[in-house]
Amino acid sequence: MAIKRADFPLPDLADALVGEFFAAAARSELCIPRCGLCDRWCWYPEPVCPVCSGKLAWTATSGRGRLFSWAMVRRAFIPAFADLVPFVTALVALEEDPAVRVVAFIVDVDPEALCAEMPVSVTFRPLRFPTVPDREVIVPMFTPSAS
Amino acid sequence: MDATPDWGHATTLDDIRGSVAIAGIGETAYTKASGRTAREIGAEAAQRAIADCGLEPRDIDGITYNAAFADFDVAAFHEHFGTNHEIWSSPWGGGMSWAGTAPYLAAGAIARGDARHVLNVFPVAWATQRASMTGGPGEVHASQSLKQNLEVPFGWFPQPVYFATIMRRHMIEFGTTSEQFGAIAVAARWNANKNPDAIMHSKVMDLDDYAACAMLADPLRLFDSCLISDGGAAYVTTSLDRARDLPHPPVVVQGIGEGISDSGQHWSQQRAFTSTPQVFSAPPAFAMAELHPSDVNVLAVYDPFTIVTLMQIEDMGFCKKGEGGAFVEGDTLWWKSDGLPCNTHGGLLSHAYVLGIAHVVELVKQIRGTAPAQVSDCEVAVYGGYTGMHASTLILTVDR
Repeated sequence: MAIKRADFPLPDLADALVGEFFAAAARSELCIPRCGLCDRWCWYPEPVCPVCSGKLAWTATSGRGRLFSWAMVRRAFIPAFADLVPFVTALVALEEDPAVRVVAFIVDVDPEALCAEMPVSVTFRPLRFPTVPDREVIVPMFTPSAS
Repeated sequence: MDATPDWGHATTLDDIRGSVAIAGIGETAYTKASGRTAREIGAEAAQRAIADCGLEPRDIDGITYNAAFADFDVAAFHEHFGTNHEIWSSPWGGGMSWAGTAPYLAAGAIARGDARHVLNVFPVAWATQRASMTGGPGEVHASQSLKQNLEVPFGWFPQPVYFATIMRRHMIEFGTTSEQFGAIAVAARWNANKNPDAIMHSKVMDLDDYAACAMLADPLRLFDSCLISDGGAAYVTTSLDRARDLPHPPVVVQGIGEGISDSGQHWSQQRAFTSTPQVFSAPPAFAMAELHPSDVNVLAVYDPFTIVTLMQIEDMGFCKKGEGGAFVEGDTLWWKSDGLPCNTHGGLLSHAYVLGIAHVVELVKQIRGTAPAQVSDCEVAVYGGYTGMHASTLILTVDR
């Protein structure tokens, strides 16, 4: 039950199910698993398509979506976030399939200006925590789309 | 709400209406960090529930507990009571959603002749464990690898953040207001103020206090959130006929339902983001009981956050989906209300965070007429259990 990685909360790039998500981010691509048989987007990742058992392939998306919902976190619930609060963490519904909701930071925006269904676009930024020295991971974040 | 929502399903259950009753209840003190282990707490709750039935430990021949919190199982029972008789058991009882379905397991065991008196027990020592950093609700969630990699690094953790996001979406879809969530928190506190066993018994709170309390994850405030507690409770289920021979009037199990979301265990990916599987659980439970939401005198819903109270009230059919905010305004949920007295012990918000087991015990007291915040003429009581992808509905009545 205990969390093994002492330097958590950066993602585990060696994780078999999600490692490719971060490898794609390092290439500035937002990739989501898609079934080669039935074409469904499958999120969260699974070993095979949960509907037809087809093989899943990490597939690039437009990186565009809409703001489904969000929270502005003011209390650092775990020490890693002590220097980051307040921040906006959100669910972004992707343009390709709004049922795919990516959890991400919303950056470069006044939190008061956020509104439901606001169009947002991916940007790739390094994620660092003071509690995890000398490491960073490139991750997808989102900003309001240019109108 | 869709006429036939397709994002989940109900578990198929046999009709057990009127076949079993809750004959005994037991509770420990509800506290902040106590230094006690969950096993000790479970033993005390069990002992008190057995005594409340007028039974001896050797009369208990069935135990239901929760596999993920297996602190008081059959081995612990025998060790505590010095017994060695055969005991039927199931790890699918305990608290949370399963506090509502454990009587169904008991009814099955009793009908098969596997047991006569079935103890359902649930202890928790999360307040003590948090102090020693060896456990608690956050760690349980962070240990799941998809959350570790796709949610925690992006600050979508722990539970207050999930439910802040659900609150926000409910506000977006239905126009629910902060004051309406506040009404739920204030009602829970008002009820706790009437219950000497509630951890927040002596702390008063009104809507101004709610509006002034710390914003943890906007729009979710401190007072939208449950406590972290040590404590436990237990209840004994037996056949209705047998219960009639025991000291307390039987609290009859009339209906049980269980609903499951088909969108998995992650809150972020729930298709029906602002609903709970009560959508699937409550209708068959009311059908089994041959009752309707309008017949309910007192409700207890699993309330880790005010939004979960709100969603369950809607999803159980006490009002239309999306109208919960207006429904809970004012004194609707207060114990003395003509509306829908809800969580009359104070709930997870203001009584103790013992994960639903005390909700069921409170309803037993309400039907017996012995609750500190007693609802007048209380004949029909309903528990709404919730564990994310699971929900349960337990309908209890007086012995008619």
